[in-house]
Amino acid sequence: MQRAERDGFETFTSYIDTLFAGYCWETIMHLKTWLWIRRAGFVALAALMPLTSAWAADVQAPVSERFADAHGQEEPSFQRHVLPLMGRLGCNGRACHGSFQGQGGFRLSLFGYDFKADHDALTAGEKPRVNLKNPAESLIVFKPTHEDEHEGGQRMEEGSWQHHIFLRWIEAGAKDDSAEQASLTRLEVIPAEIQFKTEGEAVKLQAIAHWSNGDREIVTPISRFQTNDGSVAEVDENGAVTCTGQGDTHIIVFYDNGIASVPVIQPISPEVAANYPQVPTPTKVDELVVQKLKKLGIVPSELSSDAEFLRRVSLDMTGTLPTPDEIKAFLADKSADKRAQKIDELLERPTYAAWWATRLCDITGNNAQQLPNNAFRNEDSKQWYDWIEKRIADNVPYDQIIASIVLATGRSAGQSYEDYCEEMSQYYRKKDPRSFADHDTLPHFWARRNVRTPEDKALAFAYAFLGVRLQCAQCHKHPFDQWSQQDFEHFQAFFTNIQYGNNPASSKERAQMLEALGLGGKKPNNEVQKKLQAIAAKGEPIPLQELFVRETNNNRNRNNKGKNSGSSRVITPKVLGGEEVDSHESDLRHSLMDWLRSPQNPYFARAIVNRVWANYFNVGIIEPADDQNLANPPSNEALLAYLTQEFVAHGYDLKWLHRTIANSRTYQLSWRPNPTNRLDTRNFSRAVPRRLPAEVAYDALNFATASDAEMARLLTDVSQRAIGPTSGYQQNGGRGASYALATFGKPARLTNCDCERSMEPSLLQTLFLRNDGEMLSLLERNNGWLAEVGKAEKSNSSQRESPRDEEFTVEQLERARTKAQQILAKLDKKKDEKEYKKALLRKNRIELQLIAMRKAEAKPATPSGDKVDSAVVAQQGAQLVREAYLRTLSRPPQQDELDKSLAYLADSESLSSGLRDLLWALLNTKEFIVNH
Amino acid sequence: MATHRFCDGVRRRDFLQVGAIAGGLSLASYLKMAHAGEVAPSAKAKAGILIYLTGGPSHLDTFDLKPDAPAEYRGEFNPIETNVPGIRIGEHLPQMARCADKYAVLRGVSHTLAAHELGRMYMNTGNRPLPSLTYPGYGSVVSMEMESAPDLPKAVSIPNSIHPAGYLGIAHSPLATGATPTFGRPFQVRGTALGRGLTVTDVERRQQLLSDLDTTFRGVDNDSEVLNGLDRFSEQAHNIISSSNARQAFDVSQENPAVAKRFGENGFGQSCLLAVRLIESGVRFVTVGIGGWDTHQDNFSKLKTDLLPQLDTGVAALFSTLAERGLLESTSVMVTGEFGRTPKINARGGRDHWPRAMFVLLGGGGMKGGQVIGASDDKGMGPASQAITPDNVAASFYKSLGIDHHKEYHTNIGRPVMIVRNGHVIPELFS
Repeated sequence: MQRAERDGFETFTSYIDTLFAGYCWETIMHLKTWLWIRRAGFVALAALMPLTSAWAADVQAPVSERFADAHGQEEPSFQRHVLPLMGRLGCNGRACHGSFQGQGGFRLSLFGYDFKADHDALTAGEKPRVNLKNPAESLIVFKPTHEDEHEGGQRMEEGSWQHHIFLRWIEAGAKDDSAEQASLTRLEVIPAEIQFKTEGEAVKLQAIAHWSNGDREIVTPISRFQTNDGSVAEVDENGAVTCTGQGDTHIIVFYDNGIASVPVIQPISPEVAANYPQVPTPTKVDELVVQKLKKLGIVPSELSSDAEFLRRVSLDMTGTLPTPDEIKAFLADKSADKRAQKIDELLERPTYAAWWATRLCDITGNNAQQLPNNAFRNEDSKQWYDWIEKRIADNVPYDQIIASIVLATGRSAGQSYEDYCEEMSQYYRKKDPRSFADHDTLPHFWARRNVRTPEDKALAFAYAFLGVRLQCAQCHKHPFDQWSQQDFEHFQAFFTNIQYGNNPASSKERAQMLEALGLGGKKPNNEVQKKLQAIAAKGEPIPLQELFVRETNNNRNRNNKGKNSGSSRVITPKVLGGEEVDSHESDLRHSLMDWLRSPQNPYFARAIVNRVWANYFNVGIIEPADDQNLANPPSNEALLAYLTQEFVAHGYDLKWLHRTIANSRTYQLSWRPNPTNRLDTRNFSRAVPRRLPAEVAYDALNFATASDAEMARLLTDVSQRAIGPTSGYQQNGGRGASYALATFGKPARLTNCDCERSMEPSLLQTLFLRNDGEMLSLLERNNGWLAEVGKAEKSNSSQRESPRDEEFTVEQLERARTKAQQILAKLDKKKDEKEYKKALLRKNRIELQLIAMRKAEAKPATPSGDKVDSAVVAQQGAQLVREAYLRTLSRPPQQDELDKSLAYLADSESLSSGLRDLLWALLNTKEFIVNH
Repeated sequence: MATHRFCDGVRRRDFLQVGAIAGGLSLASYLKMAHAGEVAPSAKAKAGILIYLTGGPSHLDTFDLKPDAPAEYRGEFNPIETNVPGIRIGEHLPQMARCADKYAVLRGVSHTLAAHELGRMYMNTGNRPLPSLTYPGYGSVVSMEMESAPDLPKAVSIPNSIHPAGYLGIAHSPLATGATPTFGRPFQVRGTALGRGLTVTDVERRQQLLSDLDTTFRGVDNDSEVLNGLDRFSEQAHNIISSSNARQAFDVSQENPAVAKRFGENGFGQSCLLAVRLIESGVRFVTVGIGGWDTHQDNFSKLKTDLLPQLDTGVAALFSTLAERGLLESTSVMVTGEFGRTPKINARGGRDHWPRAMFVLLGGGGMKGGQVIGASDDKGMGPASQAITPDNVAASFYKSLGIDHHKEYHTNIGRPVMIVRNGHVIPELFS
């Protein structure tokens, strides 16, 4: 939609508002409303200049007037009038004749827009619904006017304009004019925005269709209207909007394939306009958010505390809790820009790359079970993860990352089949495998089993890179968007040439390789597979399948000419809502990628901006975040437009996006509500408490209960983390972490739909947290915090009588640690992976000993025994309680919490059992499992 | 206001609400019902049991014998009379024969999906599987539709879940026991039993600490579905863990030994006992799985020595115990596998996959027992006349459970789907 025009209308709207304010809507409805609107438009024309050319031309009156009489000169149009009327009457809904089985032997295309099929259904077949000889006898006229004859009841009155539209259309020959009709360029709705003041107020909407030949027509009586939230506004079938409550929503208007949305607001408090308090808006994001909040009368919450901010941003940005030391340091830091500094620091961490690689693996569908190479499914899944992880860490521009996925082929340009197999074998060898992250492209997205067909590829592509759910249009007109089945077919044509498997062009080389391996001519059974796998494990090349581009359909058709001409319909590829693409190229994906990057693309950059935003705010500006459609408008268009535009202007810089969002005051607001924003979840006036995502929750449990050394390891070594490279591996029968992850709603990554992830709490989750054996084991594990504390206690109480494995002084250990760190710094993580790991382990081991020793020194002896000495509790307890709070809730305890916890410890069998219960209780608080 | 009542009934807002709770559990409706006191179980509450014979049991050697067919079809087993005149079943099901009045035998049940996975999906949902959509299994639908006692899970699978919750979301997954109970031995389930030497007192003490400390969101939790839900689940989990109700129900070793013995001293039999105990204590749906029916070779010896004796003892005891305890009228029972097996015996003395003819048993829950519905042709190759579809079986099973199978849910992308899309209730079951 033309932005300038819309902005003009916003001003215009308030004018319409005042115009209508004095009338109750019934009165207005009975006025000849279209005249009203024309007059209003006329006044507006005089008042507001730039948009007016549209109004200067004549606008056709609505069909309700033009066809009020049973007879007349004008002939109703099939596309413009008859089909929209049938949509309005509900004929083509899915419970009526739109059902795939039809209804009463009459079937229409679901939600319309398949003109030929619908015209055929009406005029052809054994039982045509149209009787040209005796129009009044036509079933399409007779049935819906008679309650008893029509299962769907009476849909219109005899003698009504609706009745006359059908009659006059049939009398004129019941023609399908859709082929010669101009196309709908715009569905305009007036007013473009509604701001109510109180409940019960009403406004009548008018819909105006703009056609490509310049025609304009008021189509209100044959449009459909619906509200996106009936608790804010209801709309009746004539487009009369009534305010039913406070808040904001949209009214959606449907006509032909046009869908328009009208924002509706009733302020939540009197704090609007001049009454609105002074609210700081340090960034553009804040400005745009508050702009909307002002209209709504919602005042944002206060700024969050430093501890709240640190926990929130660590979880959102890196999927990881802050460490106790980090929290202490952050709280003690007095610098004014410490939050911005922290954000910059977090963006450089391996956990940032890990968590966002996991999110992109979700979006692109990294699932070992769907990977085609049976022998190396987990390896391939790890390749996928590693490839993305490296690019996130290096902050490769988003469009480049996606281009390297979209345009991928198995071989790089000019590579021979043998060289391809040779290269791949280096990734698969057991010993010192080469990292796939260095490979130029990622062919795995297209290689998946679940996207074998062009249809599935089109759906996956639309979900993943456009944030558009296309599957409705696979079978029928999309009910909430402009897409018809035809649009889907055109779009799908982009993907027909991409194939994974044995490239026929290399069958000779392949056979030769098998021959050389002594496997020539054998069936590819399990035994052969195993042999090949063993050869690959040794690092020797084996013949592999690949992702390749087939020769174009055009060529094929030419070759097939004469054989089955006519049977294969060539469908030209056409981008969604755009132009046809020259189909002479064999790899059409280049045109597709050009389209993604073109400034006209309404989806690509928006989709990722909205998804990243949703990660930080619980909901997207468009929600669900991957459901961009015309009937699901953003809650704050200006905000999404700004972020998208700047993201592109910054060269698709993902870190810029994260930084911009996280540095806004809006992101840093407290979750604590005020009376105006208590119920706000869509306008970002406060932080909305939400459950931790599955992987983050599982890692947080692991992290909070880990020993200090283990915690330090988990921060840098993500290989065993749930947010790490194993997230796409095949499930191992519900055992181990996979049970917990499935229970907490980790996405299965089968459909590229964001909806696969569940963020809902459930009973099974709570049972897991409270009482599952796996959870209790986490608490009491050997490399856990409780064990560490226990050991320190024990070694103290025994007055160091039992000799340690290695008896060193603190000074010796510190020297050893420095040395270990130096060695580590010299090693290249990638090149000398083994050495590096060894050195890392050594350094960690030394640190572990140091920590244990320092603890032992810092603490007085605990008498080992059944009863807890109250003096000991008083001395050590407070420190341990603080530590437990920092580990779990990422903040120090308040005084009363400290008191209650200490009382519990004193009342426990032993300090360690009391501490275990405390840790258990903290992990089971809502404050732990939600991000807030 | 026709626009809603008729066709396009689902409005955008409905979609969004459903989409927002991607887990499938409608927390809001749950909480509303809880508030209205609608979650307390009533004594006459409906419940269901599915006995699922994984692998696909031979119909010709169990409940649909063809004594007059040629030897290469007929097999080794002879029919025997049951306690209902005119109904004859296989000779290795003597106890089932003595309670044939309690269930209906459906013969000539038929579909076309000969792969285990697909057949399983069809028979567990009553919907022919679609690649784009996973339909929920019976336990998940029941869990969506019914409430149960606060200290019990709504649906349980023994030992593992046969079919996922599909588009209803994991919150409606049955609780899997993970193991089968052993005769006379204590039995517990992951996450519900007190482990690691904990006592109820310990748990209560911990709980007290938790409620003392979990105060940060006090006052605002009613405004948030997530916080409210966490509170609710916390309470329910605590009830399950600390109440003896769930533990006692799960612990088959607490059953009267004479009764327990009746079910057979094997894993399947004791699982049937567990199913009865769970239903008795208020669980709404129990699935019991028993594998080994994929008898591509040695069909007859496997059936005779292992599978049929277990099935016979376990299921007969289940029917009779439910009846004795007055639970059969309110508990719907189904016995089925994914398909039947080839009428013609193969070279290895086995039978292969055969979905065109199979049997299903349905009993209890107001369904009329002591009858045979439908028939297969003279060699058991296909239905003799009108086939009974899995869709119709499901529609009937849901009817007996008091669930309207036409009811429509919305998937997490807002797609409207009926519980059973093409099913019709089998009238003979309810006449």
